Amino acid sequence: MSTLIIGLSLSFLLFLLSAGLTLIFGMLGVINFAHGALYMLGAYVSYQIVQITGSFWLGLLFAPLIVAALGALIEIVALKRVYSRDHIFQLLLTFGLILVIDDATKLIWGFDYKQVPTPEMLTAPVALFGSQIPSYRLFVIAFGALVSLGLFLLLDRSKWGMIIRAASSDADMARTLGIDVNQVRTGVFALGSFLAALGGAITAPLVPIELGMGFSVIIDCFVVVIIGGLGNIRGAIFASLLLGMTRAVGFTYATEWVELLTFALLIGTLMFRPEGLFSYKGRSA
Amino acid sequence: MKRRNFLKNAGTAALVTTLPAPLVRAATPDDFHIAAILSFSGAYGLIGNDMRKGAEQAVAERGGTVLGKPIRFSWEDDETKPQPAVQKASRLLGEGAQMIFGAVSSASTLALQSLSTQRKVPHLVTISADDAITKRDGAPYSFRTSNTLGMEINMSMEFVKSRGLKKIYAVTADYQATRSGFERFEELAKEAGVEIVGNDFAPLGNRDYSVIIDKMIRSDADGIAVMATGNDGITFVKQAGQVDLGKDKVIFGPVLQDDIFAAATGPAALGVNSGVRYHYSVDNPTNNAFVAAYREQHGEMPSSFAGEAYDGLRWWLDVVEQSDSWDVETWVEAFANSVHETSVEGRKEMRACDHQAAQVGLWGEVVKGEAPLPELTMKINEIFPADRLFDAC
Repeated sequence: MSTLIIGLSLSFLLFLLSAGLTLIFGMLGVINFAHGALYMLGAYVSYQIVQITGSFWLGLLFAPLIVAALGALIEIVALKRVYSRDHIFQLLLTFGLILVIDDATKLIWGFDYKQVPTPEMLTAPVALFGSQIPSYRLFVIAFGALVSLGLFLLLDRSKWGMIIRAASSDADMARTLGIDVNQVRTGVFALGSFLAALGGAITAPLVPIELGMGFSVIIDCFVVVIIGGLGNIRGAIFASLLLGMTRAVGFTYATEWVELLTFALLIGTLMFRPEGLFSYKGRSA
Repeated sequence: MKRRNFLKNAGTAALVTTLPAPLVRAATPDDFHIAAILSFSGAYGLIGNDMRKGAEQAVAERGGTVLGKPIRFSWEDDETKPQPAVQKASRLLGEGAQMIFGAVSSASTLALQSLSTQRKVPHLVTISADDAITKRDGAPYSFRTSNTLGMEINMSMEFVKSRGLKKIYAVTADYQATRSGFERFEELAKEAGVEIVGNDFAPLGNRDYSVIIDKMIRSDADGIAVMATGNDGITFVKQAGQVDLGKDKVIFGPVLQDDIFAAATGPAALGVNSGVRYHYSVDNPTNNAFVAAYREQHGEMPSSFAGEAYDGLRWWLDVVEQSDSWDVETWVEAFANSVHETSVEGRKEMRACDHQAAQVGLWGEVVKGEAPLPELTMKINEIFPADRLFDAC
């Protein structure tokens, strides 16, 4: 049972890390290589807020908002100019953003490791099913579940979601209906950046904050997005659960095989359902 | 460019970059040129920068000269990868560099070692710990003045014995050096009658240890051996702290914590034990003078990386100075048989058989520090003599 709980915490962490990447691809058709850099930036900004205010919760709230504003600026200044061009320009642009964000982070915060302590109220472990589960992990499960529900409701059940989906399915038609597609795209990129930074802020008490953290996470994000189906939030939730549980079981019984199992899932998906387990078809910005 | 000129230039360039370096060096060069190949970006960027500070201090201390010539560094970033390390070092050797200093990661260092052997250029290693770097009758031009992983594993077992630990659960980062380290630890445990009740090989760069930590809590181990360092070690200790793993079990590792790692780990690091490569608190005249000068220059205590770089380069340059020669073979012969009586860590003796410096081993525990010390600092609890850590040569 403890494996299930730990698996859930791994799953929701994976979902929080990859949700922004899948959202931006699904709605804008852009493979955002800078997702890992925005995640790292979220962790650093959260660290800075915790340093100033002493509150983890303010970091969790404001770091994603600050990075979302930066994301909007990036979309308006840079990304907007390459939507109509070949995908290679988007890849090059977002790759360039990694270098810019990394160097800016280095200039502001230096090379040293940073750390965000676990919030005081979540430091005590909880005894569950014969195991000691960190209460912070339980918070991650609850928070991840809320975010995934919120995203699902926003994109599939709200008027905003309908507008976003309309703008991503057929931008010209959406324009003729009076939708400001440019604003929608800016909003979607900002939301994707918000989610990346949220992943960074919530992971901050679990890992050291350092300049390479974005690179290490981006591979996992792509695995989730490819298995779930490029650009599909429901697919990302399912893929995160599949991967999280696989890892939890793998770490319990065969630690050395965990990476192999993860990439076997990826290869199996690419062989038998290359479009992913839950793919949307015909989406383009 | 005419075809003939092009061929002439290309031929000359090819010759210069493949000939043993002594053949392309001037008999008495204008300066003593050091090809410093370190990591200045990415996860190891911090290490490269600290090593640079330590190395520059060693040079500044001697007025910036050796053998009456100015010392010139060429700093290059290997991006923590062997290929750029070799490319950049090759270029600098082609320009007449007299020695290689670096790298940070053992993989890059081993790649530079091959180059140093091929080009017959001295190579100084002050941080990479892979045992393969200083094999018996191995690379003739490479020298390591810092710790080996093997001696740190030996220190870990000495600690296990001194604390009376009987059952150990280990977690090992899944790559060659730490796997070998664990195998050695297992052998030593068997000899000492210590039981290894479990070991998990976690992927390098693993970000989640919760399942492994859960298995450790459920085990009857009284000690937790962490065969990982850097991000992996910090992440493990941080996550172990969230379930108070250290409350009933002693957490330790060969290179698990130092002041930098403890700062990145936070309060969860308190009470964790680890081998330490260098520490500013070691009380001897050389170290006290180094720490004072470093603090004045940089406003902080020197890290292990800075201390080891300072110590190794200072020793090497002293030997070169005493040789009173620009002959590489003379330097290598002299260094292979040298003793560093005034090292910042105490006495160090270069072993001619494997070019590894035999030295004491520092073992410490993370404790709360008070100004001017960092908030969390290593308290050196034990100094193991070299003969307990190194096999006979």
